[in-house]
Amino acid sequence: MSDHSHDHDHDRTVKPMVDEVTDFEVLEIAVRELCIEKGIFTAEEHRRFTEFAEQIGPTPAARLVARAWLDPDFKALALAEPMTASKEVGVDWMEPTGFGTPSDFTAFQILADTPQVHHVIVCALCSCYPRPILGNSPEWYRTPNYRSRLVRYPRQVLSEFGLYLSDDVEVRVQDSNQKHRFMVMPMRPEGTDGWTEDQLTEIVTRDCVIGVALPKPGVTTNVIVDTRRAVHPVGE
Amino acid sequence: GSDVVRNAHHLHAVGKGDPQVYAGKAGTPRFAIGDAVTVRELPVLFYTRTPEYVRGATGEIAAVSYESPAAEDETWDIPDAPPEWFYVVSFKQADLWHGYTGTASDTLRTEIPEHWLTPAV
Repeated sequence: MSDHSHDHDHDRTVKPMVDEVTDFEVLEIAVRELCIEKGIFTAEEHRRFTEFAEQIGPTPAARLVARAWLDPDFKALALAEPMTASKEVGVDWMEPTGFGTPSDFTAFQILADTPQVHHVIVCALCSCYPRPILGNSPEWYRTPNYRSRLVRYPRQVLSEFGLYLSDDVEVRVQDSNQKHRFMVMPMRPEGTDGWTEDQLTEIVTRDCVIGVALPKPGVTTNVIVDTRRAVHPVGE
Repeated sequence: GSDVVRNAHHLHAVGKGDPQVYAGKAGTPRFAIGDAVTVRELPVLFYTRTPEYVRGATGEIAAVSYESPAAEDETWDIPDAPPEWFYVVSFKQADLWHGYTGTASDTLRTEIPEHWLTPAV
């Protein structure tokens, strides 16, 4: 046994799917299995909630905005009864539990931009976000950097996203610190006359309904943040 | 596991939603849209959802939101926490931050439960 020559073919050894199981994954499995064992929730419920979380995304919010641009009656409904309007783009805020998600609640409001007012949302306390209609929040939205700076330096933060607003526009930061969840309804941009609902939906990106970008013909993806160069880059 | 006590909230909120499940339970709202209010300086040991940056600041009621127990009670699952009115309050950014560099018209809105607010003097 001690003369094991260690010359077997490592490439043919069965390997795990990942190089390393992290502490986080070990704890996730421990907590989940204990909860199922104790009857806190069932494996079926865990699967159903995971499936709910995987099918949400920003498309319903984009379609809601596009439809509101085309239909003044729908816009009025979206602003007066946003959860009723959400149903018309396939989002029922009461799902998946029958009383809403436990963390997003059922108090949704849509903030309509005007030529005088630009809205932008943040959750300075954590990462509250209108997930049922907008999907999961972007990584940067959860950072202490965005959360602490947007409330204090909104124009500077927006400029880092490439959005420069003139001084005659009121920047209105909405901190979602209780049960309300918010999304922005930007103004319809110039150069979109005669566009269909599908065409308009494409330019309403996730960033536009958070308020860190404005919709623009030809732009159908989220902004790439103008990241500053590191002062002391790794490797120098 | 069937004797685990849980889901009381689910059972009373299902079909209604949260905060709709508390509708009608807070009485008459003390404030109306347009009222000037000042955020109180209450103790915040262990938990609050009223941001530090608005404490002591004066703003204006922008919306009478909904009724709900305060987060300071809900977070400890206090069973008889009284629902109260919540308000979206609008603040001028220049009133919140010393040396604010935006414009005088820039604002910030945040949601605050009634017990944190007092009429502005």
